[in-house]
Amino acid sequence: MFFLSVIEHTLRLPPHLLSLPLKEAIKGELETLFLDKVISSLGLCVSIYDIRSIDGGFIFAGDGASTYTVVFRLIMFRPFVGEILVGKLKSSDANGLRLSLGFFDDIYVPVHLLPNPSHLLPDPDNKHGVRWTWEFQEEQFPIDGKDEIRFRVHSINYPSIPVEQEKEAKPFAPMVITGSLDYDGLGPISWWV
Amino acid sequence: MKIQEPNAGALTNFEVLEFLRSKGASKDPTRVIAPVAPSEFKVYDYLVQSAASNQTKQSIHEFLNRCEKYDLAKAEKLNILNIRPSSVVEIDPIIEECEKRMGSEVVEELVEMVIQVLPPPPGQVKPDEAADEDNEEIPDQEQMETN
Repeated sequence: MFFLSVIEHTLRLPPHLLSLPLKEAIKGELETLFLDKVISSLGLCVSIYDIRSIDGGFIFAGDGASTYTVVFRLIMFRPFVGEILVGKLKSSDANGLRLSLGFFDDIYVPVHLLPNPSHLLPDPDNKHGVRWTWEFQEEQFPIDGKDEIRFRVHSINYPSIPVEQEKEAKPFAPMVITGSLDYDGLGPISWWV
Repeated sequence: MKIQEPNAGALTNFEVLEFLRSKGASKDPTRVIAPVAPSEFKVYDYLVQSAASNQTKQSIHEFLNRCEKYDLAKAEKLNILNIRPSSVVEIDPIIEECEKRMGSEVVEELVEMVIQVLPPPPGQVKPDEAADEDNEEIPDQEQMETN
């Protein structure tokens, strides 16, 4: 689920960082630029792994800062299609489930990828809530938030930033994972243990 | 920004956790002093309660050596390390066409090997220890009754 990616970036180092060692200053700048951000088709940046080379230090005319070309490696969160991940239930509604890994929340399991046949039943613990329940050999297996849920990565999408967004629309997510529970061994861990 | 190499190698959960530990994520209870970003702490929190938290370099090397004969793809090995399946039904979705490729006996053998080599995740008691606890509880109850 984690991969390394090599990135080259031309970076302007503001002069107030001149007192720091060069490597430290550049690392700090890179962290503010990349950490916890999604790079389209590369995934979510978790951490700066190492800095491979620092070149340049050129000062452009009329600019009070030096510019460096840095080559570095990032740890990216980018699951591959077909990978099995473990997450927690964040919410469930008529469209399916939303799962969370703690550091990444945009994982959706649509209705057609839930175990078949599944039914939407009212949640006995929460008056306004609903809960998906898998029916297997006349037994009910509810998907509640009690234990961790295993899911298979069905697809990963990087939607482009919308030009205009409706007022009621849910917040824009730059990386969306579609998960599937429709296979033996997937779903809440307590189903199978 | 220029992407030189989008895929310069995969990392297991254990390697990412070790990296965050080496930055000092586990030593700082206040979470302010160590040079670790809040987003990195979130990843750390996720990994520390996963199967990776008790793994060691030796156990991973041993697993990789011993699973060579099963002819698994790299991604499947990686996924087994990250999930640590402890039963046949748990390993089934990880390995593509499990039954066809290996046959049920070999799969069982593989699961046995995984349980033996890789340590269980935190919060999950080893099966023998749980059994021991059950045994201990029964005499206690009897004593209570006689008292």
